[in-house]
Amino acid sequence: MTAMEFAQFPILSAILFSTLLALLVILFIPDDRPKLVKQVSLGFAAVGLALSLYVYFAYDPHKGGLQFVERVLWVKSLGIYYFLAADGINVPMILLTAVVLFTGVLTMWELDKRVKEYFALTYLLVAGVYGVFMSMDLFFIFVWYDVSLFPMYPLIAIWGSTRKEYGAMKLTLYLLAGSALILPGILYLWAVAGGTTFDLFELQRLGFDVQVQRIAFVMLYLGFGILAGVWPFHTWSPVGHVAAPTAVSMIHAGVLMKLGAYGILRVGMTLCPEGLVYWADLMALLATIGIVYGAFVGLAQTDLKYVIGYSSVSHMGIVGLGLSTLTVDGINGAVFQMFSHGIMTALFFSAVGYIYDKTHTKMIPELGGLSKTMPKASAFFILAAFCGIGVPCMSSFWAELLVFISAVKTYPLRGILAVSGLVVSALFMLRVVQKTFYGEKNPKWEHIPDVPLFLASPRIILVGILIFYGLFPRLILDIIQSAVVPFVNSL
Amino acid sequence: MMWLPHDPVLSAALACATLPFLSMAVILIFTRPYQRLSCAISVGAITVCLGCALYLLITLRHAPAPVEYQWAWIVSSDMVIPFGFLLDRLSLLMLTIVAVISFLVQVYSIGYMHGDPGFSRYYAFQSLFAWAMMTMVIAPGMLQLYIFWELVGLASYLLIGYYYEKWSASQAGKKAFVMTRLGDIGFFLGIITVLLGFGDLGILHMNHAAQAGDIHPAVVTLGAILIFCGVVGKSAQFPLLTWLPDAMEGPTPVSALLHSATMVAAGVYLMSRIFPFFAASPDAMAVALIIGTITMLLASTMAFVTYDIKQVWAYSTVSQLGFMVMSLAAGGYFAGVFHLTTHAGFKALLFLCSGIFIHEYHTNDMREIGRGGGRKLTIPMICMTVGALALAGIFPFSGFFSKEAILGVLAEHPNKLFLGAGLLGAAMTAYYSFRLIFFILFPRSTAEEASHHEEAHGHGDDHGGGHHGHVFWAMAWPVMILATVTLVLGFFQNELQSYLLALEPASHGHEAVEHGGHGVGHYLLLVTAVCLAVGGVFFAYLEFGWKKATQEGFLRKFPAVETLFANRWYMDHFYRKALDLLVYCGFTNVFTRNDRRVIDGGIDGICRFTVGGGRAVSFLQSGMLQYNLVLMVAAVGVLVLVFAL
Repeated sequence: MTAMEFAQFPILSAILFSTLLALLVILFIPDDRPKLVKQVSLGFAAVGLALSLYVYFAYDPHKGGLQFVERVLWVKSLGIYYFLAADGINVPMILLTAVVLFTGVLTMWELDKRVKEYFALTYLLVAGVYGVFMSMDLFFIFVWYDVSLFPMYPLIAIWGSTRKEYGAMKLTLYLLAGSALILPGILYLWAVAGGTTFDLFELQRLGFDVQVQRIAFVMLYLGFGILAGVWPFHTWSPVGHVAAPTAVSMIHAGVLMKLGAYGILRVGMTLCPEGLVYWADLMALLATIGIVYGAFVGLAQTDLKYVIGYSSVSHMGIVGLGLSTLTVDGINGAVFQMFSHGIMTALFFSAVGYIYDKTHTKMIPELGGLSKTMPKASAFFILAAFCGIGVPCMSSFWAELLVFISAVKTYPLRGILAVSGLVVSALFMLRVVQKTFYGEKNPKWEHIPDVPLFLASPRIILVGILIFYGLFPRLILDIIQSAVVPFVNSL
Repeated sequence: MMWLPHDPVLSAALACATLPFLSMAVILIFTRPYQRLSCAISVGAITVCLGCALYLLITLRHAPAPVEYQWAWIVSSDMVIPFGFLLDRLSLLMLTIVAVISFLVQVYSIGYMHGDPGFSRYYAFQSLFAWAMMTMVIAPGMLQLYIFWELVGLASYLLIGYYYEKWSASQAGKKAFVMTRLGDIGFFLGIITVLLGFGDLGILHMNHAAQAGDIHPAVVTLGAILIFCGVVGKSAQFPLLTWLPDAMEGPTPVSALLHSATMVAAGVYLMSRIFPFFAASPDAMAVALIIGTITMLLASTMAFVTYDIKQVWAYSTVSQLGFMVMSLAAGGYFAGVFHLTTHAGFKALLFLCSGIFIHEYHTNDMREIGRGGGRKLTIPMICMTVGALALAGIFPFSGFFSKEAILGVLAEHPNKLFLGAGLLGAAMTAYYSFRLIFFILFPRSTAEEASHHEEAHGHGDDHGGGHHGHVFWAMAWPVMILATVTLVLGFFQNELQSYLLALEPASHGHEAVEHGGHGVGHYLLLVTAVCLAVGGVFFAYLEFGWKKATQEGFLRKFPAVETLFANRWYMDHFYRKALDLLVYCGFTNVFTRNDRRVIDGGIDGICRFTVGGGRAVSFLQSGMLQYNLVLMVAAVGVLVLVFAL
């Protein structure tokens, strides 16, 4: 590879820097123009979405491999490259980020508290997320990763609710503990490889000793795994989700948790396949526990957002289980699940957001009978719940199908246990749906208007995506597969 | 993907697999506020589907080989999950049944659901069901079948909980979903077993390979038993049968369509779909036979004691499904499918007739309907009697023929116990169905209830004037059509048999028995069965119809047994206890505590320790020179000690 390589218009950089530009522009808008801030945010989000869609459509799954490559040597002495590229694994993630950002901005349209700061921080957060997804250089992955963690604290502590300081602090500490494991992991690999390059693929070519891989993998797995909500390091996530404001929960559960799983796959599994083989048993076990455990704990929750938080734990367990199988089907399913779960949770939080905005409560016992007063707003949550249960023809069904098939094949006992978790998750989701939306009309909420079309639009987009990929899963799975097949073959 | 719009067969199949979905989408997104339009869209879509299904049945009835279309739905590594259509004799028969009954029920619902605020939603869900069910029926592979099987379950959940403001309705929907899901886990694992053990999920391939012995027998047995779990859930077999009676919370047309005629028969359909595969495993067949028998008898006893008209039919559905499972498991492929067909007709008829009564008298209680003057509604009363005669297995109604066919199969089984159970079941069925008929035909009013009786009577008469409105006729026409079907269907037994069996070489061995069963034993069996059925009806007449009858039933003399039956053999109590103990108090409680106390408690503890440690150490940083000096000296002392030793 040459030191500098620009295949065409640097579209990935354009996406990445459009968010930073948005941040800058927002900072220069006067405080008393909140409307303008929202419009600018929406505009930039739309640009990002359009560019991501372009990447999604222009990515050629038949050719596979890295496309839209941008690679510039940045620090020669350390071997740091500004290296962005898209492959089958991160194309869905980039699209997911763009969709969640766009719908998140729309969801927060009625925000009236420190609007400017809120959107500025959101864009900083998203810049970090894009950076991690696009970078193929360990140094940059780590830097962008920390960039994405930092804004979480103020976002939750300022705009949040329900024990927000506690939640924000807990989340930050957990995630920093994660990055405290990732950094030495990365540096260890870099040093063992001679300290000449941070380029992911050059490191992969150099290869590592089995022993090195085992040590490095467990550091990277735990570090990224904390962010992915791996049991038993998951408790920050429900607490954080509950405390965060709606769109931050959307980005956080929808995208940020995927960063963890993506990191395990992109860094851990790419560089330390032997390490993965060594630790796969443990990974599968923790993932299975997470799937079943999350569903059971979810049964006991009375706060809508806690419920979604624990469902995330359960669903992210499916991602972990898929990765741990080390098969094409399993990893296909895992990546597909990252995408589907991202959209699904975004929908969940977005739906709860409207209910919470209007009723000022998210306690299930205080709600009830909402379907009567706001049928549309309720329908979005119910659809998300169906997706969470794994109803076919919604995208996460396919992901779960692939993961479960490969899991039963690779780890029969754990696979069967995970499949049985489906019953519990059905029970737990339907219970919430029943208690919140069914039943007699609650006179307390009778005056609340149903969600108007504009405010419903982000949810419509998300539902549309879930059903679209549920009906036509190949449109995304073929792209994912174009990266997963060579990846598994190279192990 | 290659679309072939010039192929009329494919176009017809595609129409069945897409139109109702589009209808649902259009209704939910655009036409929800316009009730009539929604209804028109849905009924229009199902009418086209009905036409397509009939067209397919007629054009392909002599097709020498099954017609198959497939496209790759998803491709992952070497696993391809196809979406497509398998049009053979069995699937076309079932497709037609589903389309006909869906069509009749949707027309009937125009009257029954008239004026309901959720009218559009109702039709959207009906379309969802029609789409899922029809696509499931013509699925060429197990995974597609499973996918639409689950979607049918979703439609069932939504329709049971249609009156969602009623707590019991949403509860019943949830119960139905979770209980069938329990069975579906087995189904799913069974599919994976076949996938791992054989590698191909095409239904035809599975059947051929299992018959030819190309699949390891252990895989066949394990796969068949696991797949049978799905049947147990969906077709409400023992021990997962209690959701079906609860499912009667849904609107009556829904009960007619989903919870008696078509959806719950999907389990039986699945068994017949992969019948050669099942038949290759004698162990799986034995398990199914036992489960079917238990279900049939258990459910019949429950029907003895309930006064809810829909509950009686629900229990009878469960027991008839058990009867079909018995037939299939005893090797009677044709008899099982034939009974499925006739049952779909007469059970839908019974429910739709009951629906007219319920619509009229606003109660499900058969005694109150009788007192209210139920017998004055002549059309539904006659039609319901026709349905009950078919259910009881009286000549010449359709149920007679299919029941005889099943009993003939059971008679060939080496273990005569199953034949005995079948005969007993037939007698019980006749008894409880005519118990209901006589309750409505010959109402009794106790003295204190006489005034109430008059009142209700008057109420009934008031409505009498409205019988000729379009509401009544929308309900009456489908009922009359179904009654006609019930009357004539039995005489087409031979046609159906030659139609279905022409392409089933695998099951010829068993069917030969059915063909040749016209000996003396056969007539003896026929006479016995008829005597038992007539005896059951007569016994019911003695207890409920006759002028001096007490209308109490012989079970009143055994209160313990009556309570046992009325409480569904305490199965629900058992499930409730198990759920409470195991799930809520067990895992949920322990895991939640673990989350709070151990994991969070541990982390918070570490934090407190860190903060506390920081505080403690901060005393050292007091800024006073003396302390610093003392510390310095102490530190140097420690260092000296360390290095000196």
